[in-house]
Amino acid sequence: MDSHLPAGPKDKSEVGKPSRATQLFIVWKKLRKSKLSVVGFGIVLFISMAALLAPIIAPYDPEWTGRARRPPSMEHVFGTDGRGRDMLSLVMYGARVSIFIGLATVAIELILGVAIGMIAGYFGGMIDEILMRITDVVLTLPTMMMLIVAISMFSVRGVHVIILVMGLLGWPFLARVVRSEFLSIRETTFVEAARSMGATSWRIIMRHILPNILSSVIVIATMDIPWYIFYEATLTFLGFGDPQSASWGVLLQLGYPKMQHSWWIITFPGLALLFTSLGFNLFGDGLRNALDVKVRE
Amino acid sequence: MDLNTASPFSQKSRLVCSMTLRTYIIRRLILIIPTFFLISVIIFTLIHLAPGDPVQAMMGGRPVSKEIMEQARRDLGMDQPIYVQYLMWLGKLLRLDLGQSYLTGKPIWKMVNELIPRTVELMLVAEFVSVAIAIVLGVIAAVKEYSLIDALCSVSAIIGYSAPDFWLAMMSLLVFALWMGWFPASGTQTVGLPFASPFHALLDHLRHLVLPTAILVSGWTAYLFRMVRSSMLEVLSQDYITTARAKGLKERVVIYKHALRNALLPVVTYEGNSIGFLLSGAVVIENIFAWQGLGQFMVLRAQMRDYPALMGLSVLVAIMVLLANLSADIAYAVVDPRIRYD
Repeated sequence: MDSHLPAGPKDKSEVGKPSRATQLFIVWKKLRKSKLSVVGFGIVLFISMAALLAPIIAPYDPEWTGRARRPPSMEHVFGTDGRGRDMLSLVMYGARVSIFIGLATVAIELILGVAIGMIAGYFGGMIDEILMRITDVVLTLPTMMMLIVAISMFSVRGVHVIILVMGLLGWPFLARVVRSEFLSIRETTFVEAARSMGATSWRIIMRHILPNILSSVIVIATMDIPWYIFYEATLTFLGFGDPQSASWGVLLQLGYPKMQHSWWIITFPGLALLFTSLGFNLFGDGLRNALDVKVRE
Repeated sequence: MDLNTASPFSQKSRLVCSMTLRTYIIRRLILIIPTFFLISVIIFTLIHLAPGDPVQAMMGGRPVSKEIMEQARRDLGMDQPIYVQYLMWLGKLLRLDLGQSYLTGKPIWKMVNELIPRTVELMLVAEFVSVAIAIVLGVIAAVKEYSLIDALCSVSAIIGYSAPDFWLAMMSLLVFALWMGWFPASGTQTVGLPFASPFHALLDHLRHLVLPTAILVSGWTAYLFRMVRSSMLEVLSQDYITTARAKGLKERVVIYKHALRNALLPVVTYEGNSIGFLLSGAVVIENIFAWQGLGQFMVLRAQMRDYPALMGLSVLVAIMVLLANLSADIAYAVVDPRIRYD
C-alpha cells in the first residue's frame, strides 16, 4: 500500500502550506491593518534601537558629570540628574538594562510555563491536578507582595536575582494557557490523523501541538515583557533592587527625593517606562488579533 | 401544556437549582482547606528560597558574633530541620497565631489589626469608583464602537493600563500636592490640628484619600473598561439581541436589560482578580503617600528582613485574597445558573 503513495505524509503536509516567510508576511499584513499596533511596533522598535545603539548615539557617557540638576536645555535635552549626569544618556543606557530584564525574565517564564503546561496537559490526572492547584494559588496571590517577600530574603540583590525570582513566580498564567490549548488541540482531527499514521507522541507534540500553541505563547510573552520591566522598577524604587544597575527604576529611585525642585529627573525615566509598556501592549494587542488568539490577560 | 402544569415544574427546577447552589458553595468551602495548605507551603518556600539561612539575611551581612547568631536561630526555631520548622509554623497558624515579630517581639496580629481597615478602605473606594466608571464608559464605548468617544476611551484605557502606578503616584504627588497644594502629600489625617467638628475631620480625611485612590482607580478602571467593552461587544453581536431589536423593543431596553446583564457576567469573574491587583497597587501607593496600611508595613518589615512578620503578614493577605475569590465565585454562581452544572 505504502509504495502506491506518491510521497510520504510529511511531504504531503507541506504541499499548499505557506512557507515560514509567507506566514510572517500574512501576520504582518493583518497587523498593519490596525494602526495602533503599527504604532506599538514602531515604539518597540524605536526603544530597542535606542537601547542597542546607546553607546553610539548617546550624547554623553553615562558616567560623565557636569553641573548637577540642570533643567532641560539644548545641551542636555532631558536635563541633568543629582550627580550632574546627562539624563538623556542615562535613560538610553537604562533602556538596555530594563529591556534586558524584561526579555530575560520572559525567557525563564517561557521555559517554565511551556514545560509545566505541557507536562500537566500530557500526563493529566494527579500531576495535572497538583500543578494546576499551584498555578491557581500563585495566580491569586498579589504578585508585588510575593516578589517583595521573596527578594527581601536575599542578602545580595543583583539584577540576576530579581530576574530569577520574577521568572520563578511568573510562569503560572502561561502554563495554564498552554495546558488548556494542549488539551483542546490533542482532541482535534489532525492530531488523531497523525496518531493513526503512527506518529510518536514526541513527534505529535513537537510537530503538531507546539506550533499551534505558539501564537498564544508569543502574545502572552509580548504582553508580559512590560510587566517585568515594571516589577523590577517598582522593586528597585521600594529599595529591593540592585542600586549598582542603571535601570529606569534606579533612576526614579535616585530622583524621587529631589523631585520637588527638579521635575525632569523623575519625568523622563517614567515616560520611558510608560512608552515601552505602551509599545509592547499595543503591539501585543495587534499580534493577538493578527494571530487570532483568544487569551485574555 | 397549559400554565398550571408548567408552574409546579418550574418550582421544582428552582428547588433543584438551589440545592446545587448549596452543594456548590459547600464544595468551594471545602476546597479552601487544601488551598490554604498549599498557600502556606508556597509562602514558606518563598521565604526559604534564598540561599543561606534567613537569620543570616536578617543580620543584613553585618558582622555578628556566633553566639548571637546561635541565639537568634534557637529563638526562631531555626536549629530544627526544615520540615519541623514548617510543621511548627503551620501548627501555630491553625491555632490562629500569625506569629510574632522577631525585632519587637510583638504579635503580628496586634501590629496589623489597625492597619487592615486603612488598606481595605483604600481598596474598597478604588473598587467602587473603578467599577462605576468602567461600566458606564465600557457600555458607551461598545454601543458606539469606532466613534470618537470609543477611540478616546480605548486609548486612555491602554495608556492607563500601561502607566507604571508608582510613577503616576510620584507625578501626581509632585503636581497636585507639592506644586498646586490642592491635596495633602502624605498620611491619612492632618496631625496637630484640632478639627472644628467630626465633619471637618472627615473632610480632611477624604482630602487625603483623593490622590492615593485616584492612582489605584486609574489602573484598575483601565483594566475593567477593556473587559466590559469587549464583553459588551460580544453580547451585542448575539442573535438574542437582534431578536430583541426585531421585537421592536426600545434600544435603551435592549442595551440595559438584555445586553448589559449578560455582558457583566464575565466581568464578575474578573472581579476576583481585583483584590490581588489592588493589593499589589496598594503596596506601592501606600509607600509613596505614607498611607499607614498593610502595604507600607510590609515594605518596612521586608527592609528590616523581619521574616516571621513577613510570613504572618503574607498568610493574612492570602486569607483576604481567598475570601475575596470565594465571594466572587459564589456571586458568579448566584447570578449565572449555568456555572453549577460545570
